Amino acid sequence: MTGSLSAQNIVKHYGGVVALSDGNLDVHAHEVVALVGANGSGKSTMSKVINGVVVLDGGQLLLDGNPVQFSSPQAAKNVGIATVFQELSLVPQMTVAENIWLTREPLNQFGIVNRKVVKARTEELLSLFEGTFKTDLNPDSPVASLSPDEKQIIEILKAISFDPWLIILDEATASLDSRQVQRLFELVAKWKELGRAIVFVSHRMEEIFRIADKYSVLRNGRTVGAGNIKDINEKQLVKLMIEKESVLGFLRGEAKSDERIEKEISLEAENLTTESLRGVSFKIHKGELVGIGGLRGQGQRHLLHSLFGDVPYSGTVKLFNKEVHFKHPREAMKNGFALVPGDRAKEGLLYIRSILDNLLLPSWRRYGLPLKVDKAKKDATQVGSNLNLKMAGLDEPVSSLSGGNAQKIVIGKWLMRDPQVLLLDDPTKGVDVGTKAEFYALLTRLSEEGKTILFYSSDDEELIGLCDRVLVIYDGMIRTELSGETLTKQNLIAASLGVAHAAREGGTQ
Amino acid sequence: MKRISISPPVAALMLAIILFLLSGLLPNGYGNDLNVARAQSLNILRLAVFLGVIAAGQTLVIISGFEGIDLSAGSIVTLTAIFTYVIVKGDDNKVLLALLVSLLVGAFIGLINGAGITFLKISPFVMTLGMSGVVTGAIIIANHGNVSGKVAPIMTRLIARPLSPRFPIPNALIIWFIFGFLMWLLLERTTFGKNLFAIGVNRVTAKLSGVNVTLMNLAAYSLAGALAGFGGFLVIGNTGVVLLQLGQPFLFPSIAAVAVGGTLLSGGKGSYWGTMAGAIVLTLLTSLLTTMQMPDSVRRMVLGGTLLILISIYGRQRALRQ
Amino acid sequence: MKQSRWDALTSRQPALFALILLVLSIVINFILQPNMFARETLNSNMRVFLPIILMAIGQAIVILGGGIDISVGGIVSIINTVLATRVGLDGSAERMWQFVFMSLLAGIFAGAINGFFIAYLRLQPIITTYATSFLYAGFALFILPNPGGGIPANIAALYRDSTPLNLPLAFYIIAILLLVWLYISSTRYGKFLYAVGGKPEAAYETAVPVTWIRFSTYVISGLMAALAGIAITMLSGSGNADIGNPMTLNSITAVVIGGNAMSGGVGGVVGPVMGAITLGIIQNIISFANINTWWETLVKATIIVMALAAPGAINLMRRRRS
Repeated sequence: MTGSLSAQNIVKHYGGVVALSDGNLDVHAHEVVALVGANGSGKSTMSKVINGVVVLDGGQLLLDGNPVQFSSPQAAKNVGIATVFQELSLVPQMTVAENIWLTREPLNQFGIVNRKVVKARTEELLSLFEGTFKTDLNPDSPVASLSPDEKQIIEILKAISFDPWLIILDEATASLDSRQVQRLFELVAKWKELGRAIVFVSHRMEEIFRIADKYSVLRNGRTVGAGNIKDINEKQLVKLMIEKESVLGFLRGEAKSDERIEKEISLEAENLTTESLRGVSFKIHKGELVGIGGLRGQGQRHLLHSLFGDVPYSGTVKLFNKEVHFKHPREAMKNGFALVPGDRAKEGLLYIRSILDNLLLPSWRRYGLPLKVDKAKKDATQVGSNLNLKMAGLDEPVSSLSGGNAQKIVIGKWLMRDPQVLLLDDPTKGVDVGTKAEFYALLTRLSEEGKTILFYSSDDEELIGLCDRVLVIYDGMIRTELSGETLTKQNLIAASLGVAHAAREGGTQ
Repeated sequence: MKRISISPPVAALMLAIILFLLSGLLPNGYGNDLNVARAQSLNILRLAVFLGVIAAGQTLVIISGFEGIDLSAGSIVTLTAIFTYVIVKGDDNKVLLALLVSLLVGAFIGLINGAGITFLKISPFVMTLGMSGVVTGAIIIANHGNVSGKVAPIMTRLIARPLSPRFPIPNALIIWFIFGFLMWLLLERTTFGKNLFAIGVNRVTAKLSGVNVTLMNLAAYSLAGALAGFGGFLVIGNTGVVLLQLGQPFLFPSIAAVAVGGTLLSGGKGSYWGTMAGAIVLTLLTSLLTTMQMPDSVRRMVLGGTLLILISIYGRQRALRQ
Repeated sequence: MKQSRWDALTSRQPALFALILLVLSIVINFILQPNMFARETLNSNMRVFLPIILMAIGQAIVILGGGIDISVGGIVSIINTVLATRVGLDGSAERMWQFVFMSLLAGIFAGAINGFFIAYLRLQPIITTYATSFLYAGFALFILPNPGGGIPANIAALYRDSTPLNLPLAFYIIAILLLVWLYISSTRYGKFLYAVGGKPEAAYETAVPVTWIRFSTYVISGLMAALAGIAITMLSGSGNADIGNPMTLNSITAVVIGGNAMSGGVGGVVGPVMGAITLGIIQNIISFANINTWWETLVKATIIVMALAAPGAINLMRRRRS
């Protein structure tokens, strides 16, 4: 059986963006290596290089000391490398069994797929996670009908179904609940014993320290540290991951002044219900910076999008004590709302269009007929300089910008309209540290100017450092509201996992 | 993959010039005679007008993205040509009415296209192809027993004739340039145009930026239909004779013209100037083939092959492996 | 989310709707034509339906794989014109079978051309096959500029009169093809097909040979179009370069009625076969309904559009209700 895989000095770029400039990873049988890094550090790219999905531009891969090149995902599979992806590789229209066995279906002598064998083996695999899924998960369920955690389990089963020696778990626990994570870790322990190697790509400290033997840290595309888990603690690991001690350092010291928060209630929701939300109610004051917390996929996106008129909902929403019900983003915009969506490539930007076109998209109507382009350019330049936007020119396509600058455009197009309520979905995802600091300053300044801000972040530090209050959503409802003294990391994590407001001492360790 | 660095409309114009120079070398060509060359070039330009106007609607729906296309344009041209013919009956006063009817009929058919595409989620190709059949059925009904009608003198004067003996520029060409300018205004200097490009690139972003995607879609197809109607009005003003297949020969070239002009067939990028250049190229190509006395079959094969080559250069999509 | 039982049933068995339509149309036809199931009538009907059924099978497979083939009509025309000219009315049976074999190769070759541009060069299926449809139609016209030629009368008679075991020959052909499909869909290739049509990125990451699968669907479509070309030539006995034109839209409509998702990955071949038969029966019903000849084209085209709109309309109502 294979014993080791070594990635040395890996270089990878996508067009003009450098994802990896010096990536290194050493994996051996019988061990779990945690591949750690902040968002945008190159973790996912690293795992894609190892499993053959992307071509590396520099460096080499060594299998048991011998150089290898993977020309396709199949090549990596052939040497026993399996990956559990973050963005699932399941075909929604096909069943659980069909997805698990795709390309490796057991055949009978006529080349026909042997259904009995498929069903039996699938049930065998499903039994590994028995008792951890809510519905009746069986081999013939269409994947489209499964919940995100069930889909993730199928993805895991698919990966181990061909008995690989190296398993890459790329943020595999993101959609799983605690019971499923526990079961997964039990399986990982068993695999270790059998001689398999596991690469655990994650940024969840608690899980890393629970399961990993070794660690390897990526920062901005370079490997900056590696070693044994027992020789390091969480704080040191975090320090390796980010350049500064804490980007929010300058905010932590300041007391969040309560004068900023006015008495007037600007935004109120009562029993807001959508497909993913089961009756959310809250009151937000003018000038308040409220955060939404919780694991991804608990309904946060729907909350923001329904307030913006993009998702139908039932329930009551009041703006400055007047009831509103937006059926389309245009209505929300007219009432001073703005939404910075979670996926800028798919929801926030027009990639092949110019910076000018992107910044002005919601606002062209204000420029007359025929459009006064010069005035638009002036206004756009103004916003650009306010945001410290680094660009070659307004007519350049947005695709020429770096992640942080592109995100500035997404916010910029709304700032041009001076919105009263700002909704943001994970605004600093995939943004470099320097730009993050600029965003934090911007959001704070806006709330001081009296704007109401409601934003979701998957980054606990961000929520703690920036927000006056955090509403933690779990399974479609607000489980806990944390503020002031109760707004701590422990409480946040506990609430995210569904544990109601934990006592001050205790909580998860 | 090599990137083409010349802007497509310019490349199209260069191609047009090369083709024209080539045509001069042919046995029936203008050879060294500048006067004949000038007359021929003006004639080509004049012929290109009709294709150009018909391709305008095509440009709009292709820019609007989502595999937008309008295969009903050809039959709309024929139908509105017949209506114009019948309404005008040689009377100058009826011309404006006929124009209005053409625009409205075209817009109506376009609206049906848009509704099927937007609300019933039928792919644009299939929907407009289906409607093309329906419109053809309507044409047969409208045309049965040979329609009687006549084009009004003012139409012929405005469309088929030149401006004046001293300025032998065909009026149609002037109409086309004004039209082209209006199209440019529409696409680049109105909110509608900006929104059209937006939905062509990314409908989710557009919606989240306040664009009413449904309305834009309906408007794009209705406008395309109206423009095809305008094309039918012009065509009958030029030929004065009704044929069952009046509009059909314009259909494929209208799509090819848009592609030659550099408008991305996937949407979100392009211009009408490009389409105009494309229309000139295609008219030149067709006229070249006619001069070489090639049969219709060869013309079709050349057109099909040309489009194939064009999309091979401009139309390749993302690889699954990066 | 709870689905009504009807919804759950139709999303699991997409062909159910097609079956209902088929039964409905048979009933109506039976009322208008009580001798519908008599041997002669049945045979005659199936002979006429066979070409579209064959094309629907090929189109269904292409659409399952996430693509579409607009050039099938053109391929049919090529086969028809080649057989009509090369074999001719006084050709020998041997020559006929020779050219039948060559036609199959031609269909495969035409499909391979489509497959190359779409699968390997990654061009958009709709616009590519639209371009090749012109190329192929032009080629057919080149081979036979005016309708004429034909195949030996005795061979046409063979096709017309064969009724082994009192059932139309067409039945056997369809049965064999359905058995072949049953086999294919139970192999790995079948799973690959659905995966590529359902979500190509997921298929790629799972090491499914996406490019090769896509390529193969176009080859199959070309082969089926060639078979359809042979069938229609046997039916009409003569050559006509325009014969394939209306068939393309019919093949797509049959697949839509058959319950396959236009986006791919959902459906089968049985549904489209039922859809093709339904379409044929509807044409019969229209003939019996004694509609004014002038209106016939319009009515037929409208029915096609309604058939295309049906799945979308049903989905719309479903979404409104939930």
